[in-house]
Amino acid sequence: MGYFKPLASLKLTVMLLAAAMFLIFAGTLAQVHEGIWAVMNRYFRSSFVWIELQLFVPQEIAQVPGAIPFPGGFFIGGLLLANLLAAHAVRFKFTWKRVGILFVHVGVILLLLGELGTAMFAREGNMTIDEGSYATYIEDIREAELAVIDASDPAHDRVVAVPQSILAGHTGPIIDPKLPFEVAVLEWMPNSRVFNSGMGPPGLQVRATAGAGVGLVAQSVHRVTGVGDQRVDLPSAYIKLAAGGRDLGTWLVSLFLSDRQTVTVEGRTYGIEVRFKRTYEPYTVHLIDFRHDTFVGTNTPRNFSSLVRLVDPDRNEDRQVLIYMNHPMRYGGETFYQSAFKEGDTGTILQVVRNPGWLLPYFSCSLVALGMLVHFGLHLYRFARRSL
Amino acid sequence: MHWSQRLFPWIVLALAALYVGSQLRPARQNGPYDLHRLGQIPVSAEGRVKPLDTVARNTLLIVSDRQTLRIEGEQQPAIRWLADAIARPEQAREYSVFRIDHPDVLALIDKTHEDGKRFSLTTIMEHQSEISAQANRARQVEPKGRTPYQRHVLELLDHLVLFTRLSQLDTPYVVPPLEEGEQWEPLASALRRDSGSLAAHPAVRSIGAILTAYRQEQPQEFNRSVLEYHELLASSLPGEARRAGFEVMFNNFQPFYHCSVLYVVAFLLGCISLLTGSMSKPGWSQTLARATVWLLLLTFLVHTFGMVSRMYLQGRPPVTNLYSSATFIGWGGVLLALISERFFRIGLGSVTAAIVGFVTLIIAHNLGGDGDTMEMMQAVLDSNFWLATHVTTVTIGYSATFLAGVMAIMFILLGVFTRALNPEAVKTLGRMVYGVICFAAILSFVGTVLGGIWADQSWGRFWGWDPKENGAVLIVLMNVLILHARWGGMVRERGIMVLAVAGNIVTAWSWFGTNLLGVGLHSYGFMDSAAFWLFAFVASQLLLMGLGLLPRRHWRSFAPTSPPFVAESDVLSNEEG
Repeated sequence: MGYFKPLASLKLTVMLLAAAMFLIFAGTLAQVHEGIWAVMNRYFRSSFVWIELQLFVPQEIAQVPGAIPFPGGFFIGGLLLANLLAAHAVRFKFTWKRVGILFVHVGVILLLLGELGTAMFAREGNMTIDEGSYATYIEDIREAELAVIDASDPAHDRVVAVPQSILAGHTGPIIDPKLPFEVAVLEWMPNSRVFNSGMGPPGLQVRATAGAGVGLVAQSVHRVTGVGDQRVDLPSAYIKLAAGGRDLGTWLVSLFLSDRQTVTVEGRTYGIEVRFKRTYEPYTVHLIDFRHDTFVGTNTPRNFSSLVRLVDPDRNEDRQVLIYMNHPMRYGGETFYQSAFKEGDTGTILQVVRNPGWLLPYFSCSLVALGMLVHFGLHLYRFARRSL
Repeated sequence: MHWSQRLFPWIVLALAALYVGSQLRPARQNGPYDLHRLGQIPVSAEGRVKPLDTVARNTLLIVSDRQTLRIEGEQQPAIRWLADAIARPEQAREYSVFRIDHPDVLALIDKTHEDGKRFSLTTIMEHQSEISAQANRARQVEPKGRTPYQRHVLELLDHLVLFTRLSQLDTPYVVPPLEEGEQWEPLASALRRDSGSLAAHPAVRSIGAILTAYRQEQPQEFNRSVLEYHELLASSLPGEARRAGFEVMFNNFQPFYHCSVLYVVAFLLGCISLLTGSMSKPGWSQTLARATVWLLLLTFLVHTFGMVSRMYLQGRPPVTNLYSSATFIGWGGVLLALISERFFRIGLGSVTAAIVGFVTLIIAHNLGGDGDTMEMMQAVLDSNFWLATHVTTVTIGYSATFLAGVMAIMFILLGVFTRALNPEAVKTLGRMVYGVICFAAILSFVGTVLGGIWADQSWGRFWGWDPKENGAVLIVLMNVLILHARWGGMVRERGIMVLAVAGNIVTAWSWFGTNLLGVGLHSYGFMDSAAFWLFAFVASQLLLMGLGLLPRRHWRSFAPTSPPFVAESDVLSNEEG
């Protein structure tokens, strides 16, 4: 048992709390330069992080090179968990006076486990639906893919998708028997803008020799940060296609291009597009009506709502649901939130979240709050009786 | 007790009540036009129905940084400026109301600081072409990358545009919906639509009559038309008319301003009480202490009245934006400090209450400079339930953390620089701060969790690690850290005080720092005034923490008197362990 003593000490608790505060502070500052998801994975959902010293000094005051290693969220959270468990195993003696503390600690343990569960199992995506149309898939707006679509079968498309990780990291042509051609990524732009040639910033050359990209230029721009207005990276790429030794030209593929481009290889036509990674659902969501009201004489949004029709043949569901701010639709383990809308109010964007442990924080936080109330309430009661 | 001691608190209370009461009567009428009543007419601006008086004050505050102006040597209310801007624009063009601070923008209109700060539209428009050329250049730069000069040029242009829109009857929306299906609309568009039609909108007719009478300098006709229009409104929009009347009263009363004055008086009284005697002996010191508490209670009532009035006008819980968070943090802090004074009765609670009340109201005043402080809520925030639960709880958590910090500052200052911190005071203050921190821990935790639940309800993410959430959880962790450090015997009174001052930094960071990140601290915000004050505040707190860490022999309160070692053994033992 003596082995546990240092692990159970309050000094360790205080040190870990201080470390957590520093990590969170650094992770907040980091969002000036990096997207919230990047920061989350690097700082909070990791066991180890390099924290750049430049974060703490405004750039125009001084350029500070270097970084310090620091324990990440998993490491600190894990140690806190161990510290708490050890404290209860070795040091903590139960008395009724301390029942509040016990509640608090059990709640905190569940809270930490819940956050770990969220990190591992929760999935988020977007569903974009045009008014009068429907959607069958959820897009992961944090990851793009290059889709090559064979639409020759009228019943269903055959799609081969090259994930972002391969597009961004691959040197040399991507060759796969499922692909009808070789794909060489000339330039991958994780976040970009596309202009008509001549309209964009100077110095950009038209590089595409085929497809819709002829006459367009793409500019690589800084990736989104946690505090900026733009929330989603919009990637583009210049790719060079070749089949059987024949050059099929250089293509610009981009999330900015809404129409699918087509490539013809040996008499067969394939569609190519960069799009967000898709997950198909067994049900469809139809958008009947999207509403967006503003306050009189302003652009301040007053309310958004989407009236949708949910159709799931497997479960024999066909019904209308109104989704609006703070009133999501929960269905099939997924929750649909009103998130944004397409320009000109022509369609809605729903955020779709699957988090099997979504109830856990409710439970654990209630436990902590209750425990605090009991503990401090007892103190206050005794104190007030003495001094009044 | 001497009769004068018995009477003194009553005298203080009566004087304060008289002061407050005297501010409640309506403003003196200035000239033959009943502008006060004109100001009570409800209109719609920035999406909210409010009296014309509020529009006038806010607009003048935006362009001029003041709520009144001088016309021909006489102080005039904002509504006079608005009336002139709408109905006699050729006169209003001559009023020196446009404030220009930046020396290079002044140079643009051939002026320097010696020519004053405020200039008339006529003066400025002589340089119209240069101003628009500069503004066009500035506009091509992304907002975050603009230099202070560029921002000031664009600001000036915005102010000029605002004036033009007022004089062209484009804003505010003055024509009310009198019938089903109608909406508020600007007079300009109502006139365009109704032109030539005999059956014009009754409100358009009334407003037209008011403006014509004012323009043609017919005061009797003007006053009669205003009265008639009020009758029309009272019958068709009774709720809006009543609220607008109340809001004008609220504008004239300026409760928060008078509160800050009274908090200063209470602070002085409380300090005199602390300094004129040891805290336990009866006498004048206690009389002053009682007077301080009574004065604070009255001020607290006025403060509460101000907040409740805003809640009535907005139909919202108390905290809806930064401005109201400041008034509410002050309110919560004063309340908690007064409660602690009720328990401990050593006068420190009152002084803390006065400091917290005054400082937060000054902050609120500075936050209120950019227009309506009762703006409408963005859709995602439009939930009275969550505003009432999450925002209120988290804000009181801020109050409590700040309160503990201010008490800790008093501990350090009294201890280092005076002999007032006797062993008993050390213990008492230690318990006060500990109690407040316990309270802060609960409230900030519950408030943060409620925020998580709200986030889960609105976008399915209980916790997203975004800057505002992180700020809130930092406060929770700070309070929890202090509590565990105390329970583990790592710190005692003095250590808790130093940590509580650190709590001030954390709270200020969550309150303002996370907002500053959004505007790009790295690009230009560093010299921005809010950022400057935040850094200055952090520096001051670090200094105080340094003071608190001074070895005991440098603390005047702990310095050995005769006999030399008594204080050493019973006050505080070595804390460094």
